[in-house]
Amino acid sequence: MNIKVIGITALLLAIPFYTQASAISELETEYKSQGAEAFSAAAGEALWTKTFIDAKSGDKRSCPICHTADLAKEGKHASTGKVIKPMAPSVNPQRLTEVKKIKKWFVRNCKWTLGRECTAQEKGDVLAFLKTL
Amino acid sequence: MTQSQEQNSKQTPVRIWNIPVRLFHWTLVACFITAWLTRDNRYLDIHVFAGYLMTGLILFRLLWGFIGGPYACFHDFSFDWHEVLDYIKGVLNKKPPRFLGHNPAGSWAIYLLLTLGVLIVITGLLGLGGEERQGPLAGLLNYPQGKRLQDLHELLAWLMLCVVGTHLIGVLVESLLHKENLVRAMLTGYKPAKADTIAAASQWKTATVMVIMIIAGGVVWFQGYLTATPEQPYQPFVGPDLPDHDLWREECGACHLAFHPSLLPARSWKTMMAEQDTHFAEDLFLEPDTVAEIEAFLVENSAEQGLTEAAWKINQSIPKDQTLLRITEAPYWLKKHQEISDATWQDPKVNGKVNCAACHLDAAKGTFEDAAMHLPN
Ligand code: HEC
Ligand code: HEC
Ligand code: HEC
Repeated sequence: MNIKVIGITALLLAIPFYTQASAISELETEYKSQGAEAFSAAAGEALWTKTFIDAKSGDKRSCPICHTADLAKEGKHASTGKVIKPMAPSVNPQRLTEVKKIKKWFVRNCKWTLGRECTAQEKGDVLAFLKTL
Repeated sequence: MTQSQEQNSKQTPVRIWNIPVRLFHWTLVACFITAWLTRDNRYLDIHVFAGYLMTGLILFRLLWGFIGGPYACFHDFSFDWHEVLDYIKGVLNKKPPRFLGHNPAGSWAIYLLLTLGVLIVITGLLGLGGEERQGPLAGLLNYPQGKRLQDLHELLAWLMLCVVGTHLIGVLVESLLHKENLVRAMLTGYKPAKADTIAAASQWKTATVMVIMIIAGGVVWFQGYLTATPEQPYQPFVGPDLPDHDLWREECGACHLAFHPSLLPARSWKTMMAEQDTHFAEDLFLEPDTVAEIEAFLVENSAEQGLTEAAWKINQSIPKDQTLLRITEAPYWLKKHQEISDATWQDPKVNGKVNCAACHLDAAKGTFEDAAMHLPN
């Protein structure tokens, strides 16, 4: 087979991983500048699976109630039932590739789940956890 | 088949009704029954097919009234009302004269049925075009005008049913009085008559062409059912393409179906976008220029614009001093879904009221065609 074709194909295939790595590292730098320490995937996983109680409704909330326990699988939005594409970047290369999108969803999902915005440390930990998947 | 009172002794079966006349008669019966049974909009495609077939049949019969030969031609059964009255008097005296072709009363029923049939298909096509924006007259009338013609269409159908009923009574009475089975005669074409009576030709060539055309029409019309798969069920009536917008679809379609702007009035969308940080307990956290762009699209295509039947009716149903943030609270929506049980809403395949796409195949397009309604089973 033509070496050029293989090379170009490999490059094209690598783009999602490259943009993902760059989006995450951009955010990590930003979080560090906001005072975060070294990020821990274990701490991120702990936050991801922790259950919070919503102050108003008394409902139990956590990240997996929308994204499911198995991040390689499709999730389901807890209030609307809409299917959410798998969260694990290894299954869904589109994940964690866009700084603006990640920021927006951190605001939405932290406020809804924890009842407050996440700290820079928490966000960095979650990303450290998610990128290993 | 004894014809005791007949003056002459020798009676043999003579063909009175040629095949096209009989085919026309029974196919028209089938069309009428089918159209009646499919008047619920959910079966609109079948109903409309019955309507087109009826149109074709009536046009054929009008032509056949001039070239169809003995007993089929209009001049063989053009009676004035004196003759009709005389005939009815004969029936009342239990001694109606016998006509081999159509009798005067029967012929008037035929003219009435043909006229009603023509009016019914015309009002049907106008209604279909105005109310559903479908068919050859799509968009000629607006929604409320289409609705009025639809009401007229229904009224005419009831009238036609009455005439059909009268016609059936007439057939029964005459069959009894003459001790002859007129229904069978319309099936076989033969009636007992003197041997030297003019007989109708079978006209089987014309009849074959008719059958081929009906079958071909059916195959073309319903072919979508042949190519449908469970994932992609057939949608007979695809609604018009509604305005779309990428940013709106992406942002407003992330947590739920992107509800089309035509489903709520402009005032609802303005309020919703102004309160986007407390959107049903979610902070949408949209940037101001994103908000402005989406809001412009929502307002421009809101329910007031009447882009669909649903849009028009939703807007009509909401009191002008109310600003609803939920489509599922609009009186029209509530009315349309009142028969759905809680068990259905909670069914995992349905997954709640806001999951419109579970039952409406065209929810993402926003058209909400009746024919695209498809309860998951
Ligand atoms: C109420 C449902 C819900 C909950 C709870 C939820 N999420 Fe999400 N999340 C979503 C949806 C919907 C998306 C957008 C999915 C898409 O783009 O396909 C999303 C996307 C994200 C993204 C962006 C992914 C990307 O591709 O950039 C991140 C990061 C994220 N969620 C993190 C979290 C974390 C952390 C939690 C728990 C604190 C959480 N989510 C809880 C619904 C939820
Ligand atoms: C972060 C998630 C999220 C996003 C993004 C979002 N919504 Fe919603 N929306 C919801 C939730 C949750 C509900 C309530 C669903 C329920 O009650 O089942 C809702 C409900 C609605 C309803 C009412 C549905 C009904 O009951 O009739 C409308 C209309 C609506 N959203 C419009 C929008 C529009 C327009 C946008 C884009 C600007 C948008 N949504 C973006 C989460 C979201
Ligand atoms: C459980 C299934 C189900 C769900 C979910 C559902 N609908 Fe329906 N919808 C129906 C049924 C059944 C009808 C009644 C059709 C009829 O009357 O012939 C209907 C009728 C309608 C109609 C009237 C169509 C017409 O012109 O006659 C509209 C508009 C509509 N639905 C909109 C919605 C919207 C918007 C949603 C989501 C917010 C929704 N539906 C969710 C089942 C559903």
